[in-house]
Formats: sequence, structure tokens, C-alpha cells
Amino acid sequence: MIDIDIDLIYSILSSTLRRSVPLLLAATGGTFSMRAGVMELGLEGMMLAGSFFSVFGAWWLGSPWLGLIVGIVFAVLFAMVHGVMHIQYHVIGSISGMAVNLLAGAITPLLLNIIYGLSGKSPMVNGLTDSNIEWFNNIPVIGKILAAQNILFFIGLLIVVVSWIFMFKTKYGLRMRMVGENPQAASAVGLNVKAYKYFGVIMSGCLAGIGGAYLSLGQMSMFVEDMTAGRGYIAVVINAFGRYNPIGALGGSIFFGFFDAIQTIFQSILPSQLVMATPYVVTILVIVFALKGGKAPAGTGKHAEH
Amino acid sequence: MKIKGKSLKSLDMKNAFINSLYALVFSLLLGMVFISITGYSPLDTYRAIFVSSFSSTKNFALTLSQATPLMFTGIAFALAYRVKMINTGAEGQMYAGAITAALVGAYITNLPGIIHIPLALLVAAAAGGFTAGIVGYAKLKTGANEIIMTLMLNNVVIFITGYLANGPLKPEGSGVGQTERIQESAKLMKLIPQTQLTIALLIVIAVAIILQYMLDRTVFGYEMKVTGFNLRAAQVAGIKVSKASLITFTISGAVAGLGGAAMVLGVNYRFIEGFSSGYGFAGISIAALAAYSPLAVIPAAFLIGILRAGTITLSRTTAIPIEVVDVIQVLIIIFVAAPSMIRAITGNFKKLVTKFTSNNEKSGGIEQ
Amino acid sequence: MNLINMEKIVKVYPGTVALDKVDFHVKEGEIVSLLGENGARKSTLMKILYGMTSATSGKVYYKGEELNFKRPIDAIKKGICMVHQHFMLVDAFTVTENIIVGSEPGSKGFVDIKDAQRKVEKLIEDFNFNIDPHSKVADLSVGEQQRVEILKVLYREADVIILDEPTAVLTPQEVKDLFKILSKLREQGKTIIIITHKLKETKAIADRVVILRDGKLIEDNVKPENVSTNDLSKMMVGREVDLRNRHPAKNIGKVSLSVKNLNIVEDGKTKIKDVSFNIHSGEILGIAGVEGNGQTQLIEALTGLRKPDTLEMTLNGKKIEGSPTEILEAGIAHVPEDRLSMGLVKEMSVMNNMILGYHRHEEFCKKYGILNRNHIYNYADDLREKFSVKTPSVDSAVNSLSGGNQQKIIIARTFNRDPEAIIIAHPTRGVDVGAIEYIHQQMLELRDKGAAILLVSADLDEVRTLSDRLLVIYEGEIVSESLPGELDEIEMGLLMTGGHSMIEESETS
Repeated sequence: MIDIDIDLIYSILSSTLRRSVPLLLAATGGTFSMRAGVMELGLEGMMLAGSFFSVFGAWWLGSPWLGLIVGIVFAVLFAMVHGVMHIQYHVIGSISGMAVNLLAGAITPLLLNIIYGLSGKSPMVNGLTDSNIEWFNNIPVIGKILAAQNILFFIGLLIVVVSWIFMFKTKYGLRMRMVGENPQAASAVGLNVKAYKYFGVIMSGCLAGIGGAYLSLGQMSMFVEDMTAGRGYIAVVINAFGRYNPIGALGGSIFFGFFDAIQTIFQSILPSQLVMATPYVVTILVIVFALKGGKAPAGTGKHAEH
Repeated sequence: MKIKGKSLKSLDMKNAFINSLYALVFSLLLGMVFISITGYSPLDTYRAIFVSSFSSTKNFALTLSQATPLMFTGIAFALAYRVKMINTGAEGQMYAGAITAALVGAYITNLPGIIHIPLALLVAAAAGGFTAGIVGYAKLKTGANEIIMTLMLNNVVIFITGYLANGPLKPEGSGVGQTERIQESAKLMKLIPQTQLTIALLIVIAVAIILQYMLDRTVFGYEMKVTGFNLRAAQVAGIKVSKASLITFTISGAVAGLGGAAMVLGVNYRFIEGFSSGYGFAGISIAALAAYSPLAVIPAAFLIGILRAGTITLSRTTAIPIEVVDVIQVLIIIFVAAPSMIRAITGNFKKLVTKFTSNNEKSGGIEQ
Repeated sequence: MNLINMEKIVKVYPGTVALDKVDFHVKEGEIVSLLGENGARKSTLMKILYGMTSATSGKVYYKGEELNFKRPIDAIKKGICMVHQHFMLVDAFTVTENIIVGSEPGSKGFVDIKDAQRKVEKLIEDFNFNIDPHSKVADLSVGEQQRVEILKVLYREADVIILDEPTAVLTPQEVKDLFKILSKLREQGKTIIIITHKLKETKAIADRVVILRDGKLIEDNVKPENVSTNDLSKMMVGREVDLRNRHPAKNIGKVSLSVKNLNIVEDGKTKIKDVSFNIHSGEILGIAGVEGNGQTQLIEALTGLRKPDTLEMTLNGKKIEGSPTEILEAGIAHVPEDRLSMGLVKEMSVMNNMILGYHRHEEFCKKYGILNRNHIYNYADDLREKFSVKTPSVDSAVNSLSGGNQQKIIIARTFNRDPEAIIIAHPTRGVDVGAIEYIHQQMLELRDKGAAILLVSADLDEVRTLSDRLLVIYEGEIVSESLPGELDEIEMGLLMTGGHSMIEESETS
């Protein structure tokens, strides 16, 4: 039996927020890409790249923050593979996105071998620790939960807010959204369609990279093979569900994070695999039954013709 | 009276194979870069890989047995792609086929092999087909993206089978997640003793031939191709495109399911958790290399089988990581998927060559 | 001095001269109608003015200054803006957002939405546009959407406004509203160029009419009040068709294909209204009309690709309805209007395309669905010869053939089966002259064998030469039925461009 008490609830809420961070970051990154009209199927690979290379950076340069930057750079590089294939060579967005996932999935084990001479996981590095800010304990009720969060959680929230403001309140956000809705019309008004699409792809790589770094540097202080475990795909679904909107991404991430959180709790009464399967099952059900309302920007996958 | 063969003569098929060739070459070239990072000579490595695959009967058998599962998943992806559907679910479909074959193989007794094996294969094909079919149906009814659906379903199937293999179906005293050993009557005969090469190879070649035949010679294959090439023209011609797509996608899953059965009935003799080392995704690059033609998957898989087997052999004696092959496979997908990218590279290369040679010939005259 | 001066504009595309030393000028504050039929190249001329393409030779002057636009944005900056025929709007954005994108008010990168609203509201008020700036474009009617496009142009303080076929998608009332707006704009000193093939607009609103035909300037200073619609039509359409090429049908039989009460309403707009006609065996019934007047919808309804709101179709008295295959098997064949997107699979061989649509017939597929490749090869080869399809072999992929030969494949596969009735759409579009003649000849032969043929074509020559009876479709309605030769080119042109109703109006007023 599981005792339901206040500690358990705190534990669940705290865990929910923690689990939602990588999803949140990847999904928000995905909103940039989708709003610019580029399918964001490659988030998984970008996250994995972020996970791996942030640890690599920390290992090589000694500092977790520098490691984070390295992780972001490489995640963006991987994103650009997809970007160039799709925007420059007109490869179908879902295929170029999958290519990034497969590439990251194949390269990271190889590099584990080449760089560290290890297989399966990397050595431990200095990670990004939890904030443990004492001040939070002064806040009633949620203070304890917030105090247990990693610094990246707060950065993540900030990113969501800034992203939202960018997309819906600034000129460039408006223009980017137009590119995503109708690239032909955007071109006619004089916008550089390709530039905005590249921007969307780069941002998705950047944020997914941070999300990946959170998993490795932030949670485990090392890289484990395939540690993203499908979160990038869940981020795709979150966006479809959340209408390609950073705030929606936040909500969806917490929703999925919750399921991820209670999984460990129920592991004592339900077999671990069935519990682990739950987020995927939920994803499938969401796509099939609930997503009929999830409309992507009208110009997704389209390019401006000359 | 002339009897015309396959559509290999048509310009598009020719271009597709040339494209695959370039993709293979470029991928191998880039692969050389990775190998040299490990400190080994790329050319020596490639030579060693190639030689070792043929150096002994055992090694040759290893090459073929490494290629066999790839043939199954390669055919699966290629077939679905012909109706422009992307089956990234081969992994899960394999698992579904594997566990059902393992159960039929283990728990049905007193059957002669001649019935037991086909039965297990049939059930596995049905399981794989079902796993793909539900996604195809969902796409039909709701427009859901089959890539995401199959990817999610992969995980679900792997988890469920993992649970079964670690729980209710686990034999007594077993350390890892697996199911009961199958009956002798369900085992696939080996083609070369003491290797992993079984009649599964013959089965998959037969499947390739049958599906290629279907594609080239039957009305259904014809309608499939038209649907994949030009949906609108297919509709105008009265083809029932949704039915064609759904059936094709289901068959695709069935083939992948057979691949899982092949592993269980021929190699492991039981379902073992994690038995597939990425065969599902490897199938994508095989299919791309084969220009999505089921019969061409056989030689394509053989080529990659050489790479994989050779790398495995090499990794026993040297420090070359097996993962290089995975990277090369992904590079193949990337290059095949972007023919215009290949054209751009070869175009620029040609420009460089002409620039270089014309500089050598410049004699001070006016250039035209 | 002229505001705009385009001098000796030549535009060459590979293989064809689109514009042949065209001079075009516009004075400030006037409304000029650039008139011509399909293919007159009026849009091409304006694309050069607007910066979407460049002239092969010739100069363009604006306010005395020579222009050298590389992209539309250059033209926009100078005050020359185009309102496109196919709207360039974002359905999901509001009216205001659509108007300001690219030139948003606000500082430091932020959009000052309140300022934008104010500016837009003022424009709406000034011109009486009657739109809610907060509404999403997706919720607006077509006429309202067009006004948003015009607002985009006004917001950017354009001095020259080019409208491309503005009334193509409007209801009669919306057209009246549009003209009121254009008058107001003229009062404000704006210069307006309207690209059109409709005589109605020209007479109603233009100060001056410029007529292009086949890329050449025909007339450039026509005052609408001085000229009749007949004259305009004559100038637009020009040449006489040599009716000596006609081969009238000799064996017209009973009514074969009968269409009654075809009605199609799409998105609230009537696309086809009460269309009925009969075709006898051994007869070609032609439907003439400028593209976009409902022909596509008509054909889709008759061939099973679209379910109309009402339709009664019979063939020799038997009711016909259902899927494309059912209609085909019932005896009505179809040559689709776009061969590459609808009629052929260009990646596949000639042989495989020869049986498309008929591939399930017993003669092509043996038991268990196995194709009889020998027979198909021979069949295709025979047809290749019989119909003069120029290809090295029937194994070649269709995309290696010329347009005319591609079309011949479709002709071959449908004609050879001696259909009782056949619907043929734009059969010689994009086809070389030799193939055109051949295809026409084949059609006449098919007719003489007793087939009932419906020919829909935007090519007036073709439809006048081949038809035994001629209908004209305009805005989804059949506006006339005649024998060829009964109406001359001018009258036909009038009917095709809506002039007939003006005749009626002037007769009743």
C-alpha cells in the first residue's frame, strides 16, 4: 500500500516539475520551428546531442556552464543538418527530422567510445546542481517544492515567457509566424522566408539542447546512452496538443511530467514496464482521439516559390 | 514478340540507383573520417572488413546472418514507402512478431516441424501486421502522423513484451527477461552448422521475390505504385487509395513481424528482452539504398551486412567501435534522401575539376 | 508628363516571346483598364512594373526616374503595390495583423498594436470599408478579404495600385462596392491599373482602356464612353477563325448523354447553377468559357470526382452516378484537364500509363490479379503506333515525352476503347501544333463513330472549330447555346466575358 500523505504530495509535485523541464524546453524550441513552418520531428536528436555534448563540454572544460554552452552549440549543429536538408534542398521535413534523430542516436555511442573509451555511459562530471535556494522556504506551501528544483527549471520558465513575448508581441515574431502560415505571401511582402525558417530551426536546436543538457548535466551529472528516451517525440505531441504556443507547451509538459513522476511511485504495485509505457500510451491516445483540433500553421512544410 | 522485364529500364529507376550509389560512396567517404579519428587507417579498415567477411565460412555465415534481419526490416520500410507512408515502427512490429512466435513455438507441442514453423511464422506476421495496421487505420480515420504513432507504439510494444518476459512468461530461475525455450519442432534449420545462418535467409529472399512480383506484376502492386507516385491521378483513375495504403502498410508490418520471428525461431530459440539491436531503424537505410525496391533490398542488406559483420569481427581484434557502421547507415539515409544535395555536391565537384584543369590549359588566350 | 512610362518592353521566355515591344503609360490619378483575354500577357507586363520579374529589354520610368526593381519590396517602397488575384493573406491572423506585417508600428522591436489598430480603423472609416479590424481573415467573406488586400496597399501609402482580375471572385454586389472604393481612391489622387478580361469592369470604371493581345499592344487610348462592348470585344479577340477547317457532323443520332439540373454550391458560393444539356451520339457539344467559370467543378461532378448538390445524368436513358470507375464502366470516358497532375503518372512507363483507369479489365489482368504484361506491352505498342506517340519504346518513362505526346497517351487509351460518351477537357493545352492537329482529327473520327463528346476548352478557336453545338459558360451558368458560325467571335467574346448581361441591362433600362 502507498501512504498518501503531505510528503508524498510534495514529492509528486516536486517530481512533476522536475520531469517537465526537459519536455518544456524541447517543446518550446519546437514551437519556434513549427511557427516558422518547419516540422520539428528532430527534437529527440537535438536533445540527445545537447545531453551528450554538454557533458562532454563539462568534462573537457571543467565547468558545467561552459559545458551547457558546448551542448547548445552542438545541438544547433545537429538542428542545422535538418535545416539545410529541408530549407535548402527541400527534403520533406519529417524525413530530415528523423535523419537528425538517427544521426544523434548513432554518433553519440560512437563518440562515447572514441572520446572516453567507454560504452553505455560517460564518466561523471560537475553537473548543474539544484538551486537549493534557502529563500524559497519562506514561501508557504510551494516553497519546499521550488527549493528542490534545479536552476534550469527557473531558466526554463523564463524562456517560456520570453518566447511567448517574442512570438506574439514583437515584430519579428509576427513576421516569423507569417512565414509559417503563408510563405508565399510573406515573400511577397518582402520577408526573407529562408532566414526566418532557419531561425526557427536554430531556436529549436538551442532550446532542445538545453533540455537535453538538463537531463545529463542537470540530473545525473553524466551522459547515459539513449537517455532522452523518446522525450523529443513527446515534445512534438505536446506542441500539437498545446497549439504550438509556449504557454501550451508549459501546460502539456507539466501534464506529461506528472505521468512521468507518478511512475516511480507506482512501481511498487505495478510492474515497471507497464508504468513506463504509460506516457507513450497516453501520447498515442492523445494523438488519435484528441488531436483533431490540433492545427498546425497553414504553411507548414511549404517553401516560398520564385 | 518481346517480353519486357522489370521497369529497371525506365529512366527514373536508373536515376534512383545511381543516386543510391553516390549516397553509398559519400557515406563511406565520410565514414572514413570517423574511422581516422579513432586512429586507424580507414582504407586498411575497409579492406579488412571486406576481406574478413569472406575469409572463412563462419565469417561468411556471419555476414549473411547479420544481413538477414536487415532484409526483413528493409523490405518492410521499402514497401510502405511505395505508398508514401513512413513505417518507423519496424522495431515494435519485430518485437510483436518475436513474442508471438516464441509463444507459439514454446507452448504448442506435438506438432511436426512442417506445420509448427509455418504456424509460428503466420502468427508472427499477423502480430506485426496488426501492430502496423492499427496505425494505418488511425491515419486513415484521423489523419494522425504515422511516424509519431509508430515510434510511440514501438516503445509500448517493447515495454509490454519486456514486462511479459520479466514477469508471467519468464522461465524459472532465469536471470534475464526472456520466455520459455521453443520446441525442437519450431526451430529453423541452419544453413551452415554452428552459425546463426538459418533458412530465414531463404524465407526473406522468397518474401522479397513475392513482394517484388506483386509490385511489378499484379494489379494491386500497380495501384500501390500509382497511389504512391500521384495520389490525384490514382483517384481520377478510380483507385481506392485509402484501401491500398492501409493494406500495404499492414503487409509492411507483417514482414517486420516475420523478421522478429526469424530471430526467435532461428537464433535465440526464445524471446529475449532487447534482442534487436536497432534492426528496425537500420532497415530504413537499407530501404533507401535499395531505392525502395524489395528485391534490391537483398543485395543492399548484404552490403551493409558485410560492413556490420566485418566491424564485429574487427572489434574483437582491434579497438574499432562497432558504432561506426551505425553512423555510416545514417549518412546513407541522409544522402539518399537529398538527391538535390548530391547533385549540388557533384556539381560543385565537377566545377572544381574543370576550374583546375582549365587553369592548367590556360595559354593566355581569350576565354570563350 | 506620364506617371508611369513603360517603353518597348520585351520579355522572352525560353521558346516564346511573351511581350513584344509593348509601350504602356499611365497618367497620375487615372484608372486604366489593361484588357485582354487569357494569354494576352497582361499579368506579365504588370509583373515587370511590380518587380516580380524583369524585362528582357526595354525601360520603365516612374515619375521620370528609371526603375530597376529586383524584388516586389522595391516597388512597394516606391509606392507601387499590387493587389493579387490569389490573395496573399494569413487566414489565422486578424485583419490588422495582415495589414501591418512587414511595416509594423512600434519601437524597440515590439509591435504597438494599439497604434496599428488606430491607423487601420481610420483607413477603414475613410473609405467606408466596413470591416472589423479585430476579426480573423478566415472569417471574412471573399469581398471583405479583398478589401483587406486593398487596405494593405493603402496602409503602405501606395500611389499606384495594380489590381489583378479583382472581380474574378466577387458577387455582383461586391463588384459594385469595389467600384465605389476605386472611385474614392481616384478622388484621393491614387493611380489605378486594373488587369482584367471583363468588359463590365472596363466600361463601368475605367478612364482609359489599353488592350493587349498575344503579348502585343493593340490599342492604348481607348475611352470607354466612345466605344461599344462589341468594339472592345473585337479588339480583344481580334482574329477571324478559319471556318473552312470545320468538318460538320454527318450522323447525329438520338440523345445519348443527358445532364439535368447540375448545381454545385461550395463554401456558400454558387459554382454551378442549373446547368442542363443533352448530347446526341455522333455529336460534339462544346463548352466555351474563360477558365475559372465553373468548368472544373462541372467536369468533376460528371466524372464522379465530386458529389454535386443536384444532378441527374443519364446515358441512353440509363441513370449514371457513382465513383469514377463506375461512371467509366458505364460508358463515359474522361480526358482530364491537367494531364500531369490528373491523368498520368510521369514516373511510370508509357506502357503502364496506357492502361491507367482500365487496369482492372479482364484483358489486362489474368486470374488472381496478375497483370498480363505481354499483352499490355503489345497493346501499348499498338496504341503507340496507332496514335503516333513519339517515344523510343513503351518502356520509357512518361516524363521523357513531350507534352503533346503525353497527351496522346491519354487520348490513345480512352479513344481506342470506343466509349459511348466522353468528356474531354482542355485537350491541347500546352501541346505543340502538330499534336494539336492530330488530336483534333482523332476527336472528329471518334465523333463520326457515334460517340457523344463533351468538349470543354478555354481555347476559343478549338471549341468553335470542333463543336457541332456550342455552349458558353460564364460564372457557373450556361449563358448561350448556338450553332458555330451563328455567333461570330465578337459575340462569343462578349458572352465569355459577361458582356451579354450588359446588353440585357441596357435593353431593359
